[in-house]
Amino acid sequence: MSSLFNDYQPESFFDEVFSKAGKARPHYGAMLDSVGSLTPSEYSARQKAVDAAFLRQGVTFTVYGDDQGTERIFPFDLMPRIIPQREWETVEAGLIQRITALNLFLNDIYHGQKIITDKAVPSELVLSASHYRPEFRGIKVPHGIYIHICGTDLVRDGKGDYYVLEDNGRCPSGASYMLENRNAMKRAFPGLLQQLPVRPVDAYGSMLRETLAHLAPDSVLDPTIVVLTPGIYNSAYFEHCYLAKQMGVPIVEGRDLIIRNDRVFMRTTKGLEQVHVIYRRIDDDFLDPQVFRKDSLLGVPGVINAYRKGNVALANSIGTGVADDKAVYALVPKMIKYYLDQDPILPNVPTHLGVDPKECAYILDNLDKLVVKAVNESGGYGMLMGPHASKKERAEFGERIKKNPRNYIAQPVLQLSRHPVFVDDHFEGRHIDLRPYVLCGDRVRVVPGGLTRVALKKGSLVVNSSQGGGSKDTWVLWDDPLDMPAETTPAA
Amino acid sequence: MLSRVADSIYWMARYVERAENLSRLLLSTQDLLLDAGAEGVDEAQFWQPLLATTGDEESYSKLHKKIKGKDVTEFLALRADNPNSMLNSIRAARENARTVRDQISDEIWESLNSLRLFVESAEGKTMHRTQSAAFYERVLRGSYQFQGIADSTTPRGEIWHFLRLGTCLERADKMSRLLDTCSGLSLELPPHAQARPLRWAALLRSCSAWHAFQAHHRRLDPSRIIAYLLLDETFPRSIACCVAEAESALKSLCADAGLKGMPLPLRHVGRLRADLAYTTVEEVLATGLHDYIDDLQSRLNQIGEAIFHTFVQHADLSLLAEEAPVESIASGAYHAQADEDLQVQQQQQQ
Repeated sequence: MSSLFNDYQPESFFDEVFSKAGKARPHYGAMLDSVGSLTPSEYSARQKAVDAAFLRQGVTFTVYGDDQGTERIFPFDLMPRIIPQREWETVEAGLIQRITALNLFLNDIYHGQKIITDKAVPSELVLSASHYRPEFRGIKVPHGIYIHICGTDLVRDGKGDYYVLEDNGRCPSGASYMLENRNAMKRAFPGLLQQLPVRPVDAYGSMLRETLAHLAPDSVLDPTIVVLTPGIYNSAYFEHCYLAKQMGVPIVEGRDLIIRNDRVFMRTTKGLEQVHVIYRRIDDDFLDPQVFRKDSLLGVPGVINAYRKGNVALANSIGTGVADDKAVYALVPKMIKYYLDQDPILPNVPTHLGVDPKECAYILDNLDKLVVKAVNESGGYGMLMGPHASKKERAEFGERIKKNPRNYIAQPVLQLSRHPVFVDDHFEGRHIDLRPYVLCGDRVRVVPGGLTRVALKKGSLVVNSSQGGGSKDTWVLWDDPLDMPAETTPAA
Repeated sequence: MLSRVADSIYWMARYVERAENLSRLLLSTQDLLLDAGAEGVDEAQFWQPLLATTGDEESYSKLHKKIKGKDVTEFLALRADNPNSMLNSIRAARENARTVRDQISDEIWESLNSLRLFVESAEGKTMHRTQSAAFYERVLRGSYQFQGIADSTTPRGEIWHFLRLGTCLERADKMSRLLDTCSGLSLELPPHAQARPLRWAALLRSCSAWHAFQAHHRRLDPSRIIAYLLLDETFPRSIACCVAEAESALKSLCADAGLKGMPLPLRHVGRLRADLAYTTVEEVLATGLHDYIDDLQSRLNQIGEAIFHTFVQHADLSLLAEEAPVESIASGAYHAQADEDLQVQQQQQQ
């Protein structure tokens, strides 16, 4: 056993690398030999080189607080997280099953609402979701797909079982960091990547492009696709730009687009050019001031009408936020049963609904043991970590729940799995999750791996970048390199 | 290409060129001071023309009562509250690059981002304080690097032409201002042969023309220097050369866009090119250098405006009139002090 990991303690958690102190899981063997043989200063020199490259390349996100809006690099830990083939195959099958059910559900509630008529899910719960858009009922969307790009959050508990924490069917971010992390690893550990059968992720750009092109009206042979960004001051601007570049399509702001005769055009140096597919990274609320928030200057007045008429496609579609509602999330296993007649491959985290009076009473009695979340918040906001909260905080949250029980759900505190992370001059365990990216076009494709997010603060369970989180590269390790599936699809 | 993108690329190139010109100007003024010897020299005489060139006399005087080398260099190089400072030009170039990052090569982006990281760094500030010449040379190299990379990585399409336009028009504008600072100087050479016409030599150095000029003309004759920097058709920083280059870029752009007849920017630039080709330096001096340059500058501005109307704002907006009033279609480029509202609004969305 090499020196860098000699003193590493997995403690009582499920550790991704060590089944117990000094005993590594077999799929980490080759990497531990290679990484472990470095001295702390060699390791930290590689880490610094990667950080400097990220800064130079502007692989950054914007942090607010001072007048300039500082750009920071998203903290990156060099040691990759490895997922062995068998584990990944289960995750992938589970994700495909889930997105299939979610799209069937969205298509259903925006059309016939059979699942409600059949009483498979409670009607008032679904229809009261604040992101449900009744005005979109009956509108036909291309191929009946609502969520084209999904960034599901997965966690593992103390036993190492995978759970779905959130589905993120609106504008999931982070794919660019997944791609840049892999590039950084190619620079930092070229030998390892050559030696191990790690499935590549760099086809994401072309997969995304194909997924989007699939949405264009059938009559258009060579559709014009654009990425719609709120602009350079948005914290995810780097990602918008990066993905546009990977796909080779223009990145536009609302002011670049204009509607004529319910068609969308972009203003170019050669006049107006029609746009067929918009990968929008602007939330529903800001997308069209004629329909949603009137004060939005980021959107495109009239784009929703163009969408209704089928003249332009939007990815993701309008109203997918209903599936992101954490109370509706609790119903996904029922959706899988109802639409696919299957049991979920990836389970939900057990969830108590505030809207159910019995469960609400249970939540209020057990605030010190539960994580309570507002149903429409994300990014680690609007939640109560019961065991870590003060008495006063719990009492305050309890009042909020009583006032609006529909708005809250509660889950047991999961002891998220941990992974060694380099701190100063040695490795320590930190909690992680996994966000794989699922694309839904002519078929469902899952990028092998995804973004592993790390709660860098000792003991913290919150991995979000806005709350001191970082990331790792994620390697899906194949048993037999000759057996590895091709990542790109043959040209149509 | 998106109109907004064209606008940003044009301004990105202009701001890089602006920072480069300012570096060279600061560098040559420092050298000139050293050549002039320290004794009995009125520092202000040397620094005042710099403020005139950049058009910053008024904003400088709000901050400092006296013209001192230390204050002027700091004001022009690193002051964040001077929108025309080198720091802000590089920031603006980099912000424009950021808005068109998907259109330009990664190498262009990285070179500008590195330059901006350098000028904003503590290392950069210390270098400016202790060895300012090294600082200016670093900025110069940054600009050369940008131009070299742009030249070798940009496909010869619209992006390239807008880059060239930005560079040439900024270069012509700065050259005209530079010449204007000499318009009050005597055209007579000092009586004895050893005397060096320092100001005129510095003028050549401040636009990298020293060697090129020497190769053609042995004597530093002021009217020949003016002719060289204004009318020469071979020196790449002369105004005639810049205008000819701008015309060639505009011809390609107009042809690409399928514009028929003689579009406005092409008419303006062509007329100016012809005038410069057929004008003699004697005629310029008869008009008066200052007046001639005044007119030249307004014609350069006219070209810039015509480019904006034709390619960014679209002169022919009749199609759009009902939905989008012309005034609401703003420039897409980032400028040092123009973005606060937008920034606030976009942050609100967080």
